[in-house]
Amino acid sequence: MLTSIKTNQFQGSESKKLAMMYFRVALILFGAQLLMGLIAAIQFIYPSFLFEVFDFSVARMVHINALVVWMLYAMIGSVYFMLPDETGVETVGIGLGKLAFWVLTAAVAVVVLVYIFIQVGPGKESTIWLINEGREYLEAPRWADYGIVVAVLIFYYNVFATYMKGRKTGIVTVLVADLMALAGLYLAGMFFTDNISMDQYFWWWVIHLWVEATWEVFVGAVAAYALIKIIDAKREIVEMWLWIEVLMLFGSGILGLGHHYFWIGTPEYWWEIGALFSSLEPVPLVAMFVHVLYDWGKEQGIAKAAGKPASIVKNGPAMAWIVLNAFGNFLGAGIWGFFHTLPQVNIYTHGTQFTAAHGHLAFFGAYATILIGMMYLGIQEAYGLKQLKATFKSKMAIFLIAFGVMGMTIALTIAGYEQVLIERAELGGGWNSYFVGQSMPWYVQAQIWRTIMGVITFIGFIYLVWDMLTIGKEQASAAADAQPAAA
Amino acid sequence: MLFEPFSDVVPSFFGWLNQGPLTLTIFLHTLIILPMFWIYYDEKKKLKK
Amino acid sequence: MANENKSVWTSISFWRRSAAWVTGFSAILLIWLTFDSVNQIAMGSDADLQKAVAQKREINRVPAPTVINYHIDYKMDEKRGHEVPVIGEKEPFFGKEWSPQEAAALLHLGKLTSQAKNCMNCHTLLGNGAYYAPDLTKAWLDKAWRKGGPLQAMTGKSTREEAMAEFLQHPSQYPTHARMMPNLGITAEEAKGLVAFLKHMSSIDTNGFPRNFSKTVEQFKTGGTNAH
Repeated sequence: MLTSIKTNQFQGSESKKLAMMYFRVALILFGAQLLMGLIAAIQFIYPSFLFEVFDFSVARMVHINALVVWMLYAMIGSVYFMLPDETGVETVGIGLGKLAFWVLTAAVAVVVLVYIFIQVGPGKESTIWLINEGREYLEAPRWADYGIVVAVLIFYYNVFATYMKGRKTGIVTVLVADLMALAGLYLAGMFFTDNISMDQYFWWWVIHLWVEATWEVFVGAVAAYALIKIIDAKREIVEMWLWIEVLMLFGSGILGLGHHYFWIGTPEYWWEIGALFSSLEPVPLVAMFVHVLYDWGKEQGIAKAAGKPASIVKNGPAMAWIVLNAFGNFLGAGIWGFFHTLPQVNIYTHGTQFTAAHGHLAFFGAYATILIGMMYLGIQEAYGLKQLKATFKSKMAIFLIAFGVMGMTIALTIAGYEQVLIERAELGGGWNSYFVGQSMPWYVQAQIWRTIMGVITFIGFIYLVWDMLTIGKEQASAAADAQPAAA
Repeated sequence: MLFEPFSDVVPSFFGWLNQGPLTLTIFLHTLIILPMFWIYYDEKKKLKK
Repeated sequence: MANENKSVWTSISFWRRSAAWVTGFSAILLIWLTFDSVNQIAMGSDADLQKAVAQKREINRVPAPTVINYHIDYKMDEKRGHEVPVIGEKEPFFGKEWSPQEAAALLHLGKLTSQAKNCMNCHTLLGNGAYYAPDLTKAWLDKAWRKGGPLQAMTGKSTREEAMAEFLQHPSQYPTHARMMPNLGITAEEAKGLVAFLKHMSSIDTNGFPRNFSKTVEQFKTGGTNAH
């Protein structure tokens, strides 16, 4: 993939070249995320590891920030990749887009270096402007917030101008509306208040309305595009499903925000709103899973009836990751989310390892999977391959990563049970109750398993990078060898 | 106890709707879903033409 | 295939219009609910607080910063079926009564410090954050910080606020577990601010979270029945 920047055969699509630039940084940040996660996991078992040098708070901050930023990068990359295909015209303002890419990447690098080397500052406004804002997921200092806003405005302008100029398919229409909401919501996280309840109220506007509404709709649009691209799914069917998904995702997700307003000082009426609307959130995720498998089976059946027994899948690894997305989204976001979405359960599970278990499987299942799939689509086109077949390395990557993340999730769920029952239900959640829970042998065991599974995930990641660096070149030269023989 | 006593700290319209089992959420769901019937029949009319 | 478009259920325009309606209306409802909620969680005034104390009832879900001048308790409310913060008699905070301006300035310093020191990436505040260290929602009310409690005794101080401030300034001198809080360079002033922030947070009505806050660990460790 790295060399693909130079050797790609995008037939002049600068938009797709820019997409590959975003994918490349996304992959590097994904690696950083996993490394930071490993450090944090080790600190759970050996608290003295890097104590007062590189504390848990720092490792965890970089862990979750790298996560959010790599996903945003891969999302922007996916959009630049899709746009020329969907609209039928070259993306407008690519020069500006490239400038925004370099500015954003430089800003991300500075922010990460400051996180790692400066870490914390005095209790002054200057700290949240220059070092970190100290709000989970939105730690980026205020100066970087403004940088992000500018870069995103450029990106959005490019998307919108291309949309106005080219073909207006259902997929791009959803995307254009969704990205506007996604970008606009970031503004809700850019203010300071002394009132912690108010702070968290609007903090959730960004976090929840991203990951449980606008990001999910984004995934729906990307999956629709990918299905057309990989298995020639019928556009009318795919776009009809996309509108159903939008209806159900936004219908449940927007007011599902209420499940974060149970205990932060907000009124009791959020119990009902949050419980009922968020309970419906898994429904569209089931629909998406059914839809992907149904389309795949149907298209393969049509091909078979037409006497073409070969697989219709034009990109093996991408299809595998997208099917994993359909299942992982339902399991991680749907099932693991529903586990603790009712206030009757959440009063005990809120802010425990249960949340961490859900977070790991949901971010992976709903987002990491499909974005990796998009990267494989990028590689296929960069090398001008008609078909990209999964290699041993692709299979090892998907198996080890999926197995590792699932293992981490199960381990954290077990840790969550221990914490919920002992610290919360039995002891009520005070300082010492917390540490009694953290010291229970089964809790400690679960944390050890989490770390082992984290290492497995990381090995899978190494396979993934190795595969991405080699798969295109190998299959391109194999195709080139095969051609003269046929002629 | 079907209808629970009002217990919100600050009285408000939504708090007032929230006085029995699922009253508030059923109200909101109904508001959202009812107009979809109209959209359905409107589309049906268009298709018949 | 001629009948394909006869059903509304497979018509793209039906789903598109429904999606637009549901999304738009949900967004409007959320904004409406937000106006209501923001109004309810806005910080109360000092006058509201005095009235609440005199009438022994809650007026604001998030009280004024001057709540640091009062004793705060967390008690079962029969009507609501869970514990609620109860604001009681006046008590000195760091040996004095804070004027509304002073209290607001101190809370501001504390909230700012809580962000500058990245508390939320180990602890949870109102249950949100990381899970590497105890939840701080009601930390001020923790029995362990009381007179005679193990955490207060450990610091050698004689009031809750002084003990917490001492711990915050030199956390790794007072380990409570193999997992320790690192020294974050918190100054004496910042520590006072943080304690004010924690005390204020404990007065927020969180609808009963965390439930049964801080029963004694001793009771758990002795095991068996409660008959001792």
